[in-house]
Amino acid sequence: MDTVAAEGLLSASWLVIALPLLGAAVLLLGGRRTDAWGHLLGTATVVAAFVLGLLCTVQLAGVEGHAVDAELFTFVSTGSLDVGAGLLVDPLSATFMLLITGVGSLIHVYSIGYMAHDPRRRRFFAYLNLFVAAMLLLVLGDNYVALYVGWEGVGLASYLLIAFWHDRPSAATAAKKAFVMNRVGDVGLALAIFVMFAQLGTVSYEGVFGGVGALAGGTLTALGLLLLLGACGKSGQFPLQAWLPDAMEGPTPVSALIHAATMVTAGVYLIARSAPIYDLTPTARGVVLAVGAITLLYGAIVGCAYDDIKKVLAYSTVSQIGYMFLAVGLGPVGYAAAIAHLLTHGFFKAGLFLGAGSVMHAMGDEVDMRRFGGLARRLPVTFVTFGLGYLALIGFPFLSGYWTKDAIIEAALDRGDWAGWLLGGVAVLGAGLTAFYMTRLMLMTFFGRPRWTEDQHPHESPSVMTAPMVVLAVGSVAAGFLLVQVFPLDTWLEPVFGVPEEAEHVVAPALVGLVVTAVMALGVLAAWLFVGRREVPEVAPARVSPVVRAARRALYADTVNESLFMRPGQWLTRALVWVDNRGVDGAVNGLAATLGGSSSRLGRAQTGFVRSYALGMLGGAVVVAGALLAVTAG
Amino acid sequence: MTIEAPDLSLAALAPLLFVFGAACIGVLVEAFGPRDSRHPVQVAVALVGTLGGLVTTVLLAGTREVTAGGALAVDGAGLFLQATIAGLGALSLLLFAERNLDPARSAFVVSAAVPAGSVRDRELLTVQRVQTEVYPLATFAIGGMMLFVTANDLLVMFVALEVLSLPLYLISGLARRRRLLSQEAAVKYFLLGSFASAFFLYGVALVYGATGTVRLAGVREAVAGAEGGTLVVLGLALLVVGLLFKASVAPFHTWTPDVYQGAPTPVTAFMAACTKVAAFGAILRLLYVAFGTEEWTWRPLVYGVAIVSMVIGAVLGLTQTDLKRMLAYSSVAHAGFLLTGVLGLPATGDAAGSGLPAVMFYLLAYGLTTLGAFAVLTLVRSGEGEATHLSQWAGLAQRSPLTAAVMSLFLLALAGIPLTSGFTGKFAVFRAAIEDGAWPLALVALLASAVAAFFYLRVIVLMYFSEPAVDGPTVGVPGLPTTIVLAVTAAATLLLGIVPGAVLGLADRAAIFVG
Amino acid sequence: MSVTHYLVLAAILFTIGAVGVLVRRNAIVVFMCIELMLNSVNLTLVTFARATGTIDGQIMAFFVMVVAAAEVVVGLAIIMSIYRTRRSASVDDANLLKY
Repeated sequence: MDTVAAEGLLSASWLVIALPLLGAAVLLLGGRRTDAWGHLLGTATVVAAFVLGLLCTVQLAGVEGHAVDAELFTFVSTGSLDVGAGLLVDPLSATFMLLITGVGSLIHVYSIGYMAHDPRRRRFFAYLNLFVAAMLLLVLGDNYVALYVGWEGVGLASYLLIAFWHDRPSAATAAKKAFVMNRVGDVGLALAIFVMFAQLGTVSYEGVFGGVGALAGGTLTALGLLLLLGACGKSGQFPLQAWLPDAMEGPTPVSALIHAATMVTAGVYLIARSAPIYDLTPTARGVVLAVGAITLLYGAIVGCAYDDIKKVLAYSTVSQIGYMFLAVGLGPVGYAAAIAHLLTHGFFKAGLFLGAGSVMHAMGDEVDMRRFGGLARRLPVTFVTFGLGYLALIGFPFLSGYWTKDAIIEAALDRGDWAGWLLGGVAVLGAGLTAFYMTRLMLMTFFGRPRWTEDQHPHESPSVMTAPMVVLAVGSVAAGFLLVQVFPLDTWLEPVFGVPEEAEHVVAPALVGLVVTAVMALGVLAAWLFVGRREVPEVAPARVSPVVRAARRALYADTVNESLFMRPGQWLTRALVWVDNRGVDGAVNGLAATLGGSSSRLGRAQTGFVRSYALGMLGGAVVVAGALLAVTAG
Repeated sequence: MTIEAPDLSLAALAPLLFVFGAACIGVLVEAFGPRDSRHPVQVAVALVGTLGGLVTTVLLAGTREVTAGGALAVDGAGLFLQATIAGLGALSLLLFAERNLDPARSAFVVSAAVPAGSVRDRELLTVQRVQTEVYPLATFAIGGMMLFVTANDLLVMFVALEVLSLPLYLISGLARRRRLLSQEAAVKYFLLGSFASAFFLYGVALVYGATGTVRLAGVREAVAGAEGGTLVVLGLALLVVGLLFKASVAPFHTWTPDVYQGAPTPVTAFMAACTKVAAFGAILRLLYVAFGTEEWTWRPLVYGVAIVSMVIGAVLGLTQTDLKRMLAYSSVAHAGFLLTGVLGLPATGDAAGSGLPAVMFYLLAYGLTTLGAFAVLTLVRSGEGEATHLSQWAGLAQRSPLTAAVMSLFLLALAGIPLTSGFTGKFAVFRAAIEDGAWPLALVALLASAVAAFFYLRVIVLMYFSEPAVDGPTVGVPGLPTTIVLAVTAAATLLLGIVPGAVLGLADRAAIFVG
Repeated sequence: MSVTHYLVLAAILFTIGAVGVLVRRNAIVVFMCIELMLNSVNLTLVTFARATGTIDGQIMAFFVMVVAAAEVVVGLAIIMSIYRTRRSASVDDANLLKY
């Protein structure tokens, strides 16, 4: 990829990041003085960043090669260590920049209404701004270290926002869970960066992609898998998916922005950005495919069983990101499709979450769909916008999801081998399940007999909340068509991913479209048969088939976590210290339990007696001397 | 028999002369100065001495010579570490001089001879008199540390070790409040420190016996000539034990938590920042200069203790409820991280590879950050003195957003979060280790940092997301000295994280040992 | 008597000192054990000076004595101060700081 030095407006692209960061800084440091106008400032900075980003993108379209490197400053430059901090504005990062600031602006506006009565609203906007800035740094940086900085930044912001209502114990626990599971992924990413450094001596995209060709196959595969681990952690992909649904404890705008539209897609960005690495390692790419396929089915199945409206949407997000992973795992044919689906998903999922927020707002923060019902008439705007998002998500013909999901399924089938058929089949099956659980959600929420209590008076949300929903609904309807047919995204992204070979279609695209639509219709019908036709019980029935029971417990993901990590962790603790682990409780997971347990046990060695310290030192000295003698003798 | 006078390059010794001169003047002031004006005079003398030391080291930049009859090596690495010690020492002295925070006007006991808890002791708590002996004592310690990192001779190293340790033993027992803890800390530090010194000294004797010399260069030649054998290896082991003790590397760290917790907080800050620099300076010089050719003897050992130190520090830090103690375990973990960098060297001749500059930078960054963190600890007080229990820090952000923000900055830096000096330092040492093929070590280091990050972040979460206790601590308004320390350390922590290029470059250029 | 005998004697003294630090409770006695360790090193130093035919070892022994004297001053001051407070010189009583 050839880049040119930034000129004109593009050399000011750093402002896109700086604006929200400034907003966050003013709000956090300004204290209560900024309470009155803080939310307006926060929103204004993001809107300004969006406008600037839009102008930059327009100018970028006129630049030859469509890639601009804006050198900011040299972070470290000594001897062999040379890290420059620069921004890379190319079609891929520009696309993300627009998505982040665009959806970000809408959600800021929405939050003005949603958080109007919260005493800590200023802080909320500060965190939200911080998130936007970090996410922009993540996508705009021109090296892996900048990406990592942004990566940690969004993790921090996400943690702060999940725990925003920290007086709820569930929110604190969810934040902790997200933190720990993200750490696992972050270690992968950090290690990948270290591998790059050790092997190539650079972390800039340009340097790494220029040098990977010379690396050994094993190193490349390791690199690919480590990056994938990082991506899985951030994007809530199998096996690190469990934190994402729990993260819904945060305020709904957070779920919409961070846990649906932007942050959780960072993993897709990472893999798409690292395309030159994955191009060289089919093994790692195969694992990406597997992760994507497993997750998309997992999310869809579990999504069918939950009654919590936000949890269903969360599992839907997990599943849809699975589609994107599947697409990037397919290689050059899939990259553009993945990004297109990511964009349309950003629109309709953000819209759906905002709609869900609007419903909760109306129902006094109730999330159990069994207590909704018949809301279509009470919340007309929400119903229509939510409905359009729903149609887009299930892939109703000619709405957004239809175009982008079909593209992924086609790309999978075009592989032509058994794996292609398998993946295509999984993706089609996933589409059917998606239609099922989303229809179920629609029916339980907006149709049927009202099941709310007498003292609830559902009312439509204020226009500051509905306006963003309308904009997103329009996006949900039109984005897919625009991105596939009018301004083809794959042409726009060609400078980044290259021109994919024209694949021979194994199955005619029209036929694929037809089959997918048919399966979707089947899903809708099934949902109507199971849910819409009958009365919805207000309490979830206990006597259900094992499948449903499994799905209700997230296919035993937490149980698996528990038995794979927590139990052995506890046994290890016991074996290590020969003591019962009564002291270990309330630990987030097995790792923490092991560490906490060994910590307090090891702490016993710190007896406070000088003589036992001296004994430890003498023992240490003997071991040191012995070790040195052994080394020289051997 | 005639004794030849050794060649002395006074210019190259200027930093040491400055500091030791100030310390001697301080002793005279203590003996003859009028009591009323003693405090400002002592502070001024100590600051002039250390800042003079700092300025002269900067002026000497570029010097590479062996002087004082071969006993001192004034070289790039030595000067860099001397400047670090002098600078951090001056900042610590400012913390000593703070008079606004404690109602009793000082963190130090007026008369150490009065039994703790006696009637006279309680009377003295209310008088406005302050104790000024700490300034010459601390200045001597700073001088000893600066001598330690330029010692080119095992005997001088031993003498410097004692010169830096003895005053530290004393001043860690001088806390004005919680005197029992402070005295206990002093006794423990003293007994264990002397115990470790004895090991070091025995190591000196064995190396001398095996090689017939105590000059580092002489030892190197003798060792390269394969003289000595078992005796040299045993000597090396004992020398390393003595130095690892001072650097609080596990398993020789046991004194660290107790002493850090018991000592007056300004002294703890001083020890955490400066002693670490001095000890690692000596470790580097000993291993690279004297035993550079014996790399394969000590590498496995350093490998092992680095892992033990990181794991012990990170794991034990998890369950600490006292902030000073938590930072002590953090110090143990950081000693492990530093050792990771020590491994990153191809020690060939004069070039020390990437390990040496990385460790030098890390020492500077860690020293500044930890000094700042302890400085914040002196601000948060309850009736009894400093409020160091974790629970007392709950909801601190609501009481004092600025204090919480500054503390968060330091904790993030200690955790190694990007855009802070801690990240740059960790990055440098881990990279050095990886470059030298110490892969598994870097992996352990990463895992340990992840674990350690948990307990740093826990404090931040506590400060921001918990409701403050009703009878919580108050945040004192610091006087000028502490304000300067906080401003300098916070600015440096940020700058070394965002634009570390200049300092990294300086460390790179300075990373040379002569001798 | 060969040089080795002196070295072995010094090593034994060093060990006695180190073990004494571990088993004795009285801070003064612990401290004296440390002094014993230092003096065993002095013996080693002068022995080596004799063996290698250099004078450095003997000079070092003098340095060690001076340092040890300084250490005594500091050590006794610290031990005295805690003794006056606690009326006990047992190192096991100083046990407030732990874990």
